[in-house]
Amino acid sequence: MIRKLLLVLVSTACLLPTAGCWNAKEVNDLAIITGAGIDLTEDGRIELSVEIYLTSPGGTESDGPMTGQPNGDKGTSVIRTVHGINMADAASRLQKMISRKVFWGQAEVFLFGERMARAGLEEPMDFMLRHTASRERSQVFVANGPAKDVLLLTPPVDRSLSDALVSMAEQQTGLNITMKELAQMMVGKSRAAVLPIVHIYPEKDLQDAFPYIAGMAVIKEGRMIGKLDEYTTRGVMWLRNEMKHATVTVKPDESGGYVSLHLLRNHTRLIPSIQGDRWIMTVRITGQDDIVENTSNLDLSEPDHLEQVEREMERFVEERVKLALDTAQKKLKVDIFGFADAFWRRYPKQWMANASRWDEIFPEMEVRLETDIRIARPGLIGKNFFPRQEQR
Amino acid sequence: MIEKGKISSAQLGKMIYLAITPTAILTAPGISFNFARQDLWLSPLWAICGVIAVPLALGLNRLYPDCSPVQASRKIAGRIPGWVFAGANWLFYLYMSGIILREYGEFVVGAFLSETPLLIVLGSLVLVCAFAVRGGVEIVGRFAGLFLPAFLTLFLLIVLLIIPDLQITNMMPILPEGILPSLKGSLVLQIWFSELSIAWFLLPYVSDRENAKKSLWITFGGIILTLLLSNWVTLLLLGDLTGGYSFPFLILARYIDLAEFFTHLEALFMAIWVLGAFVKICVFFYVTVTGAAEWMGLRDYRPIVFPMALLLTLFGIWIAANFQEMTHAIATSLIPLALTMFILVPAILYAIGRLRGQGRQ
Repeated sequence: MIRKLLLVLVSTACLLPTAGCWNAKEVNDLAIITGAGIDLTEDGRIELSVEIYLTSPGGTESDGPMTGQPNGDKGTSVIRTVHGINMADAASRLQKMISRKVFWGQAEVFLFGERMARAGLEEPMDFMLRHTASRERSQVFVANGPAKDVLLLTPPVDRSLSDALVSMAEQQTGLNITMKELAQMMVGKSRAAVLPIVHIYPEKDLQDAFPYIAGMAVIKEGRMIGKLDEYTTRGVMWLRNEMKHATVTVKPDESGGYVSLHLLRNHTRLIPSIQGDRWIMTVRITGQDDIVENTSNLDLSEPDHLEQVEREMERFVEERVKLALDTAQKKLKVDIFGFADAFWRRYPKQWMANASRWDEIFPEMEVRLETDIRIARPGLIGKNFFPRQEQR
Repeated sequence: MIEKGKISSAQLGKMIYLAITPTAILTAPGISFNFARQDLWLSPLWAICGVIAVPLALGLNRLYPDCSPVQASRKIAGRIPGWVFAGANWLFYLYMSGIILREYGEFVVGAFLSETPLLIVLGSLVLVCAFAVRGGVEIVGRFAGLFLPAFLTLFLLIVLLIIPDLQITNMMPILPEGILPSLKGSLVLQIWFSELSIAWFLLPYVSDRENAKKSLWITFGGIILTLLLSNWVTLLLLGDLTGGYSFPFLILARYIDLAEFFTHLEALFMAIWVLGAFVKICVFFYVTVTGAAEWMGLRDYRPIVFPMALLLTLFGIWIAANFQEMTHAIATSLIPLALTMFILVPAILYAIGRLRGQGRQ
């Protein structure tokens, strides 16, 4: 009898902690980090700024769970800045600055300040890849200036600045690099990486300033060594097979106007070859485009005219790609296109024999371009309805 | 025999599948990668130990079909050698269970419950396993049948959802240095393949013994396929990073992002892992407990289940001082030990048995 009673008592006691209330962490007890900016101060310390998304305490229940914006004010994101000797040190100080439990699991954006990027990404990257809560899927950017300035902006449309940056990157008009991809590039055969740069428009202290992504930072051996402007960036993206959505405007010869094309399907193939002592890379770019605007006097329902536009388009692509190649090979001398990996995959033996010479081979390498752009559809109208008078 | 329960040959296959794959998915890709590099996906095909272990277990069972290995070894090799074998064997299985338990604990604490003491994580799983083992081989078999569909569904779901992020170029160049790197990478996998010889301990309880052979070979094929698939997708996602991660397949589950809706799926992997580890530890613990009971000449193994569970929990903690030491042990000293106890010693027993002309009616 006593045994049975004891059993009942013990099993009831066991039930008590299973409800989990004793160390429950509700959403509104957490400081959810949505994005982090990492800067280097003048005296070589890490300045970590985080954007924290705060659910209003108790608010969500009384308003009903679906009312997203509490009372229409945007004040649900706050920024906290801490200093430390390295990432981990700074992150540990973060908890002192906020009453809620810091939670890294939703950090979608990591933004490196320019000075930090130039000093080296390895140190903060190690923390972020080692941390059990932060994710390999987070987007990584470099700020054109201190990262903190970007985080302090108030985005006009999105819930938080991190949301805004993620959405912008995912449109893929610019680069879209995750933490895993960055780490992969940094340990890749060429040890070079690229990251998108976040600018502030128009100026940082203005009320309606907003961030936008343009250009790319070139990283070699973990350190940022240069910036590419938007124009060159496009060429690099063509080469890296990252050109997915874009509208391109070309001016065919003697046509008196412009034709704009929307890129539908693009593919870039890198075909390495080694002939004797010469390393040659053939870049084959194929694409299918739609016409979105035609103010030239070409009748684009005619195959002959289409061909003219296609050739013009090919010339346009090649020009940009050549500019990117020139910049990377001659000016920066960094293989940001993954040529090294392409050679390693095709010629593993030759690559291993010459791996240490790669920095000499790459700038001198001959690159052949083969561009084949096809226009798929002319849109809903063929020729220009409204040609200019003098050309009629 | 000490056990009265019976299992079907299908249950035997499921038990063995779940007694091998979970830990292999978890830690093997990271260790294999350091030898095989981009040929990692090929390594599971070199399943030499499995090819030996399956016929060995079947052959040993054929010598004395209705005897447990402890009894059989005594009949094969004589009283004293049999006693030595049985003693070494249950101690070895206790050690293996400890390693598996610790792997489970390190993963759960390292990746999820970082503030929970290791002892609580290990103890709670051992307690549940002890109840299952106390229920007998039938209960463990039923659990395997119950959890296998869930295990496979979740595993395939993760593989399916990560497909958009895979890059086929990560597996190239194929075999740049011949097959040697992939063979070296498969060395650590031999631990898992040799575990197939655990079938010897379960075969006496199989009621439809004539189907056991087919079931075991299917299980063996399933294990190779599973490892092939898990290594392959891990490699295609992580490429050169694979070797750097402690649990590459966890990163895979975390990386999934489908339409911004299917994200943060590491909980799925956690579920796979807990289900798998439960059955795995149950099977190994069952072999340990029955082996120990028979070795000590007990009439029933049930009274020693809970004391052994306590010992197992302690073994889980004693096995290594930290995670690195454990992985190092798995990649180095565990390989010869496992091959000796899973393959070599049973093979010697089988050879003695055949030479003495046993097993022929």
